[in-house]
Amino acid sequence: MSTVLLSAYVLMWPVLVAVVLFVISRGFFREWAEARRNGRDLI
Amino acid sequence: MVEMDTAQFNVLVVVGLLVLFYGGTFLISTRIGKKEENADGYMTAGNNLGFGISAASMTATWIWAASMYASATSGYTYGISGPIHYGLWGALMILFIYPFGKRIRAIAPKAHTLAEVLYVRHGRSSQLMLAGSNIVGSLISLMSNFIAGGVLISLLSPFNFTQGVFAVAAGVLLYTLWSGFRASVLTDFVQVVAMLGAVAIIVPFIFFAAGFPAAFETGAGNLTAEQGDFFSSTAFMEQGAPYIAAVLAYAIGNQTIAQRLFAVKESLIKPTFITATIGYGAMVIGVGMLGVLALYLGFEPSGGDPNNIIPGMASEYLPPVLLALFFIMIVGALSSTADSDLAALSSIMMADVYGQNVAGKEKADPKTMLLVGRITMVVATAVAVAFASLQLNILDLLVFVGALWGALVFPVLASFYWGKVTGRAFTTSVLAALAVFLPVRFGWLPLGGVLGFVVDLLSIVGVGVVIGLMVFGFFGPRPAKVAGIAAAVVTAPFAIGSLHEYATLSGSLVAYSVSTILCWAMSVRRREEFDFAVIAQRTGDFDDDDAAAVGTAVPGRAADTGNDPEPAGTK
Repeated sequence: MSTVLLSAYVLMWPVLVAVVLFVISRGFFREWAEARRNGRDLI
Repeated sequence: MVEMDTAQFNVLVVVGLLVLFYGGTFLISTRIGKKEENADGYMTAGNNLGFGISAASMTATWIWAASMYASATSGYTYGISGPIHYGLWGALMILFIYPFGKRIRAIAPKAHTLAEVLYVRHGRSSQLMLAGSNIVGSLISLMSNFIAGGVLISLLSPFNFTQGVFAVAAGVLLYTLWSGFRASVLTDFVQVVAMLGAVAIIVPFIFFAAGFPAAFETGAGNLTAEQGDFFSSTAFMEQGAPYIAAVLAYAIGNQTIAQRLFAVKESLIKPTFITATIGYGAMVIGVGMLGVLALYLGFEPSGGDPNNIIPGMASEYLPPVLLALFFIMIVGALSSTADSDLAALSSIMMADVYGQNVAGKEKADPKTMLLVGRITMVVATAVAVAFASLQLNILDLLVFVGALWGALVFPVLASFYWGKVTGRAFTTSVLAALAVFLPVRFGWLPLGGVLGFVVDLLSIVGVGVVIGLMVFGFFGPRPAKVAGIAAAVVTAPFAIGSLHEYATLSGSLVAYSVSTILCWAMSVRRREEFDFAVIAQRTGDFDDDDAAAVGTAVPGRAADTGNDPEPAGTK
């Protein structure tokens, strides 16, 4: 495998992790804000 | 070869980090703490969790410290495909079980544990078999996470292993004890943010700090041809294939996963599981890449122990601030799984032991249940700390529990779909599968000649069962049979005469095949069919206040007669 491909292969995972982190965080804070608006517990 | 020493935090720094982490999670848990906790909330948080918190919790629970160490070890041992053969299959198993999760949730919307559902389906023996395996599995998981904490703290600070184990155990118990599962899922969010954030920063940082991408060329000589091959058959046969068989069983038999399945809002099961699949895979494979980088660098882990690859790479290439972030990442990974194990153990003791077998469903007192749950957490922590100090071989124990769960997979899943499966078929098939697994896995019998041929044949059937079950969840019985038979036929020429030599893989596969063959054979001629509607009626909330609060009839209450539920309602 070429150096460029190997670099992409190693570095794609942290990028994917960052995307998942964004999706989960957005979901959490939306639910938190909605719970506060409705005056109920998040859990 | 490069020999690297691990850098150490001083006492003040490591105490500060532990206080920051466990103090912070404790403060977060107090935000949702109630003076009068609800027994059902303590076990499943009201069956109504949203996407963000559920996906975070599923991801955090599935990632434990050992999975990061094992992924890096796989990369270091098998080369560039190694982390894939650890992380990808583990991630896909989360994906493969979500259709089963939807079915289980549909027939038992208010259950707390899978064993509780099996009690209604078959009776006590199958329930206690699954609950017992869950308890053993969670205790081993708890113990191994405490060991990982003890090792990490002893490696990076002046504290010794025992002090590290006690610090982690006390920290986890502190924030989980009062609110149980509710505290576990809320703190999981914070822990997953720390873990994912750390990986997104640390892996690229080490990559460039260690001299990559140039080191791919200078260090290429450190890899064998197999290690440099992305399609390495050694990596698949020795790491990937046994793991595919094992993690399907783990996903089905693990109460920490089932608990989240019963907690998430039913309509959000699919996005939650898909997000957790990607999150787990990216995180674990990403950390595993540190093992690949270490291989290119010719890195020698301290003491020759592959578990020291990640701490060694971190201490060599990270500045103090990022090393602290790395420390928090590992502590977060092991704590999120440990608190889930505590919550799982407490819910099994509350619902399966006290609720169903001691007091009975109708007479169970929610306050006593809460007490049972909290005592369970304290006792489980003490037991796990005691066993952690013995430093038992965790992998051997996990393999045993994995096989026990492998023997359970088909009987459990069939019990949720096929009305003909009986309690006797369930119990007999699981026990027989275990009896065949043990000598195959541990080499108690010489497997040459006819015996080896029989093991190969059963293993081939096992391959068909695993593939068939995966396809069944998404596409139903007909495609599953086609895929299962095709997988067995394709495998046969390669497997006959050689598969029994891979003890870990063939041990798991015979557990699948024997339990499947027996369970099917003992059930197929039965004429009566189980009425699955009975399950929703007989599993439900224990806490009356909760039922009143939601203002709806709790499933089961209208149909309950006041007697203990009898298994195997037939129609």
